[in-house]
Amino acid sequence: MAVRKLKVLLVANRGEIALRIIRTARAMGLRTVAVYSEPDANSAHVAAADDARLIGPAEAAKSYLNIAAIIEAARETGADAIHPGYGFLSERPDFARAVDASGIIFVGPRAAAMAQLGDKVAARKLAIAAGVPVVPGIETAEPAAARAFAAREGYPILVKAAAGGGGRGMRVVEAEAGLDAALEAASREALAAFGDGRVFVEKYLARPRHIEVQFLGDEHGTVITMGERDCSIQRRHQKIVEESPAPGLGAATRDAMLAAATRLAQAVGYTNAGTAEFLLDRDQAGEKFYFLEVNARLQVEHPITEIRFGCDLVAEQIKIARGEKLAAPGVPRGHAIECRINAEDAAAGFRPATGSVLELRVPAGPGVRFDSYLTRGSEVGAFYDGLLGKLITHGADREQARARMLGALDEIAILGVTTTAGFLRDVIASEAFADADLSTRFIEEHCSGWPSEDRAMSEAALIAAALTAAGALGAGSGQRAISNSSGETTDRSPWRALRGFELWRRP
Amino acid sequence: MKLKSGAREYEVEIVSRDGRTLRARVDGREVSATIEELGDASAILSIGERRFRLLGARRKDAILVAVGPRTFDFVPAESGARRARGGLAASEVTAPMPGKVLKVLVKDGDRVSAGQPLVVIEAMKMETALAAESDAMIKRVRVAPGDNIDHGAVLVELSPVPDSSANQSERGAR
Repeated sequence: MAVRKLKVLLVANRGEIALRIIRTARAMGLRTVAVYSEPDANSAHVAAADDARLIGPAEAAKSYLNIAAIIEAARETGADAIHPGYGFLSERPDFARAVDASGIIFVGPRAAAMAQLGDKVAARKLAIAAGVPVVPGIETAEPAAARAFAAREGYPILVKAAAGGGGRGMRVVEAEAGLDAALEAASREALAAFGDGRVFVEKYLARPRHIEVQFLGDEHGTVITMGERDCSIQRRHQKIVEESPAPGLGAATRDAMLAAATRLAQAVGYTNAGTAEFLLDRDQAGEKFYFLEVNARLQVEHPITEIRFGCDLVAEQIKIARGEKLAAPGVPRGHAIECRINAEDAAAGFRPATGSVLELRVPAGPGVRFDSYLTRGSEVGAFYDGLLGKLITHGADREQARARMLGALDEIAILGVTTTAGFLRDVIASEAFADADLSTRFIEEHCSGWPSEDRAMSEAALIAAALTAAGALGAGSGQRAISNSSGETTDRSPWRALRGFELWRRP
Repeated sequence: MKLKSGAREYEVEIVSRDGRTLRARVDGREVSATIEELGDASAILSIGERRFRLLGARRKDAILVAVGPRTFDFVPAESGARRARGGLAASEVTAPMPGKVLKVLVKDGDRVSAGQPLVVIEAMKMETALAAESDAMIKRVRVAPGDNIDHGAVLVELSPVPDSSANQSERGAR
């Protein structure tokens, strides 16, 4: 039974997650409100919502992080609730508090719980008190203290932001020589990303797996868990491939992790959706897991849990925010995998890429879900996170989910922005992934030097380029009218003028 | 036609096309393939046992193609351009994306070697070091820490190292 009215939902986010939240809200009969920055005026989430408000210029600090403008937009549009999505303001207790103070429902945990969990140092104390094992570490930005710690525990050590999540400001220090620079850079990035320059230094586990537990809590004291996700495949400490369940995880370890997540949630009286992240280390003695952090929000990779449990986590969040009581989770089925398609050049150290989408082919088929905001003509700028879309597949078992992911990645094509899709295809096709040889070092162990030389593929690419130059492939082929963002036409194309080029008669 | 992708140059000609059979010459090799058009601006190309799904698009400055999920950018090859620049891979270092200058690591008149970081910028919430693609002299630094920069903005101008003929490199280091 709902105890409070929730009819109009404002989504304080952009991109695929704003669109995904709007879809669920609509399906629940809610009115939806989008907010957007100037360059996002034509973005899909704005078109999908019933109402939309401009909240500022491109710079996130003046738009998607602009608390006053977002609350003003909620007032103007009669929104009675705000969903923060992930990133941006989702883990800012001051935002949750400001929303609360405006008499608007915040679809997420209470500010106090968020503050406690969002501070890595406080969260660690909480974990220790709840009997959850932690990796040895200290909070400091002082080189001397960090040096003493490293001398005790041994290099390598990990330097990371005390606030926030998502791997920002995180650096591995292999030897004392790199320590000062790492502390300085981590602190600067932490300050830029979270407005809080504190850093945490801890022992670096050589080859751990990243495994996390999805949990939900309601206002009636119920906490449920919905299985685990293995998110070991990461680049720059940010996840790019996730799956559920975690392959080969021992039943006793899984049970202990789910119980630890429940204790963490109960310790802060957690309401709404959250994720307890752990590192799993394996040696002769067996599996050992350590508390990493709790993300007090919806995670990017939540769809793999939804698919296995046959639920809609955003719908659950909205029901919890209305004051409803949680139902028991469903029985998980099969295996799910997610690949994050980012605007990055995997062949150049995952350097961010920008551009406008000239052509787009999206995958479909049994067990395939593609959460994305991209359309032909979408502009991918440098202002925000480069996540373009999430490709999720489900199968009766891991091998079926993997085969479907391969097929879906073969279907996807995004032209105009360099993406990680081709790289991800080779990850999913690799023997190491097929064998589930997972660790957070997966990319450096198995994918360095990508792409390897593939003559047939190069030939295909060059033939495709020649066909495209001749107008026989892509926009301009057949009877299609040309209309791309630069307004260029076939006849004016400089490619027509290339010498040594033979056009043939189309069959 | 001569095409360039990154630092590599290629040559490709479509020799003939008869129905679904296509013959091409790629870097001097004969390649036989079959092609099926899918009617949505894409096609399936088969070379031997391999099947590739192709998609192509033209931009003012480049041809973009997708081969399955992989994408490739090609521009017309400008042979001899580097020789004219005295061994320089490029005469300026430009911003690969919009952002902010964090650090400038060189000053006017410095001699730098290929791969040496020149400027650190922050873009898309990450720090990126921009390095010299070849040995060079710093002719002029045009930005200072804190400057906001647009995509393509010139950050540093370079000139050839005096008598650089000995260390000309074909491929720019990155």
